[in-house]
Amino acid sequence: MVAYIIRRLVSVIPITLGVLLITFFLFRVIGGNPAYRIAGKNATPARIAQISKERGYDKPLFLNLSNPFDAQFPRLCGQLVRLDFGESITTKQRVSTMLREGLLPSLCVTTPLFVIETVLAIVLALLAAYYRNAWIDRSLVVLAVMAMSISSLVYIMVAQFWLASEWRLFPVWGFEGPQYLVLPVLIGVVAGVGGSVRFYRTVMLDEMNQDYVRTARAKGVSGRTVLFRHVLRNAMIPILTNVIVAIPFLYTGALLLENFFGIPGLGRLTVNALFNGDEDVIFATTFIGSVIFVVANLATDIAYTWADPRIRLK
Amino acid sequence: MTARRCVLALVVLTTLASAAGGAAETVLYGTGGDFKGFDPVDANDVESADQVGRVYEGLLEYSYLDRPYHVIPRLAAAMPEVAADGLTYTFKLKPGVRFPDDKCFPGGKGREVTADDFVYSWKRVLNPRLQSAGDWLFVNHVLGAEDWVKKWADAKAAVDYSDPIPGFQALDKYTLQIKLHRPYPQLLWVLTMQYTFVLPREAVDFYGAEFRNHPVGTGPFRLKAWRRNYRIEFERNPTFSGQTYPDTGDANDRAAGLLADAGKPLPLVDRIVEYDIREYYTTWQMFLGGQLFSAGINKDYFEKVIDPQLELTDTLKQRGIRLLKAPLLDIYYLGFNMLDPVVGKNKKLRQAFATAVNVPRYVEVITNNRHTPATSPIPPGIAGHVAKPYPYQFNLARAKQLLAEAGYPGGKDDQGRQLRLTMIMPGAGSTDVRQAADFYTEQLRAIGVDLVVQQLAGSEYLRREHEGETQIFWAVWVIDYPDAQNLLQLFYGPNKCPGVNATNYQNPAFDKLYDQIVSMPDSPERTALYEKMADIVVDDCVWALMTYPLSYGLFQPWFQNYKQHAFPYANWKYYKVLPH
Repeated sequence: MVAYIIRRLVSVIPITLGVLLITFFLFRVIGGNPAYRIAGKNATPARIAQISKERGYDKPLFLNLSNPFDAQFPRLCGQLVRLDFGESITTKQRVSTMLREGLLPSLCVTTPLFVIETVLAIVLALLAAYYRNAWIDRSLVVLAVMAMSISSLVYIMVAQFWLASEWRLFPVWGFEGPQYLVLPVLIGVVAGVGGSVRFYRTVMLDEMNQDYVRTARAKGVSGRTVLFRHVLRNAMIPILTNVIVAIPFLYTGALLLENFFGIPGLGRLTVNALFNGDEDVIFATTFIGSVIFVVANLATDIAYTWADPRIRLK
Repeated sequence: MTARRCVLALVVLTTLASAAGGAAETVLYGTGGDFKGFDPVDANDVESADQVGRVYEGLLEYSYLDRPYHVIPRLAAAMPEVAADGLTYTFKLKPGVRFPDDKCFPGGKGREVTADDFVYSWKRVLNPRLQSAGDWLFVNHVLGAEDWVKKWADAKAAVDYSDPIPGFQALDKYTLQIKLHRPYPQLLWVLTMQYTFVLPREAVDFYGAEFRNHPVGTGPFRLKAWRRNYRIEFERNPTFSGQTYPDTGDANDRAAGLLADAGKPLPLVDRIVEYDIREYYTTWQMFLGGQLFSAGINKDYFEKVIDPQLELTDTLKQRGIRLLKAPLLDIYYLGFNMLDPVVGKNKKLRQAFATAVNVPRYVEVITNNRHTPATSPIPPGIAGHVAKPYPYQFNLARAKQLLAEAGYPGGKDDQGRQLRLTMIMPGAGSTDVRQAADFYTEQLRAIGVDLVVQQLAGSEYLRREHEGETQIFWAVWVIDYPDAQNLLQLFYGPNKCPGVNATNYQNPAFDKLYDQIVSMPDSPERTALYEKMADIVVDDCVWALMTYPLSYGLFQPWFQNYKQHAFPYANWKYYKVLPH
């Protein structure tokens, strides 16, 4: 298992390099030399050259034959590995500071959203599975399909208009206290729970058709015991996959919710950086996001061995 | 402050609300863009200039209400003495102006502003390590500035601010002298710009790299709290004094109540709270809820807010909301690269192109009538603008005829090949830009020209423009100061790429006139030359003129003293909110 973990951790390198390469290509190669933006509209050639030199934009993009590491992409990779995320072009702030400041607000939204949605989805899926084909099941499926069919943008706009602006049940915008988080979390849960309920229900119904369930029932085990003691445990692998793979998104933040509700988190930071072509912020969030994603996948694999002792990681 | 300012002006939302009554008025404001902190050397975008303008000040500032624009002393005791040859400007500083208390000063006590502070602040603008976009204000104008920049750009050591620049002299504590290579009448405009605002060296030394986040200025407000990406709060600067609300303005200003506070000490509000709101939908909800003092009008909302007569809808009028619209001093245009073998050497082709674009239709479809068709490279409101018909107004038949005269009848060359032109626009992935691009493509197709529009990321667009790697480019010029020279420099031969003359236009007759006007003070003679120069570039069709933008802003009835201003960064001190 240790060898497996080491192997998977090593795989972070090519995956992250690939992600960075694509990002670098999009923003630096296609996007062009940022020195022109920094220098402004009245820039003299000398000032552009000097900014390019100071920031290393004058180096070859990928390969410097005289010194392979003295090119823009290798330098960027080296910086990111050292966790030196550079300075934002549009705010002139250290990107590491911006990320640090954005983490907590993001977690304030995404953590309750994630926990509530996961628990609620599992509970509703169990309920639907337990009462399969009854009106409760059918109603839940219809509601789940409806919930997942509506764009989260619609939820946000309707809720912000009616619940916040018109009825004044919640603040329209802001990050001043827990009450400011209620509406975004509520919207996030409603927008996300439908898909999860359907997925978990399917997983559980699939398990309920297995032989061991029939055997348990034949032995006189009650339906409730079968569901909670056997079905739920055996359904854990796909559920764990779904849950753990979602963990990186706690870090990346809720892009739309943060922007509409003024949560100064990492999602908002990322969206703004994309709009502004703020490449240092984009490189940093992409790098961290890809590392976390690979690690979360590894955590999923490890969790399988806990959920199902038959699984061995080699 | 270029295209960004205009684009943002369409999206940005400004708002104020008051706390309950009395003197403790609070301005609540919503903005829509990142800014670079409070270091004046970085004030090269609208948001940064706005923030710097609240906490720092310079020698001069714009008179708030007067039009045409003119400058008045701010930290200068009076307008400068200018030597007869126009090469030396001597300023006397107001005595007793103090930096506020801050821990960067010995004992935490602020001190008086001196002439040395200005010299230091201006050297920072030139410091190559700080990468300020404001160096052009002084380089090639102030005696010794370019040598100083070169010396420290090449040096490995840190910049030594005691290294003198001959053109910046602190003659005594309150006397400041600027010496120039040649007359630079624009200097007075330039000294209103945020780059030139004064700051104490102690703050830079004390806070180091964090100085940009710890402003220590003489301005009307000081920073109280700041949560990046969310909220920023300013409070009245207790050491700000000596300025009152202006008592000069025209009859319209008086009728609009803009002179009601004449003589009152500034600022008129105690607090500014600004929220970083990026979604227009959210801004609109907050504006309607009375939480913001102002809102721009997003194009998607335009028809809900503005009626066909381009006035505010009755619903909003009934709420007491006011619509204020005014022309801006910017210009949108399509520039032709005069070094391009196809468009550069073929005036008839450029004229055909310009004549083929239905600008009134563009104004209606693409801008919601928030622009007006341009008729001169010098916008209205600036000396040199003459209101006369643009010679290349849309006329399809004439465009086809000009195209044929250009050697491309029906859009085909003499060998029957389709004429294909390429235009670049900034804004990769932007829907608005795509719509405009589609519009141009369709207009040119009507005369048989295949126009390929490339939407580029901002940096790449600027690179191509600077390097002259264009055939046709879409552009906007946001004027830096209200002097036509700022626009006419874009046609001056020696400024060609990689300078600001992105068209590479070179016309000896024009250049000769430019050499003449660049040193002339404001006068009827200079204005006449501006008009002549504008005629030359219009005749040569260096640009296909597009539009002049109008600002459209919605304001709550309790927000007072707002007058649209092309350079509004120091205007917060004049605004007022009524109890509501």
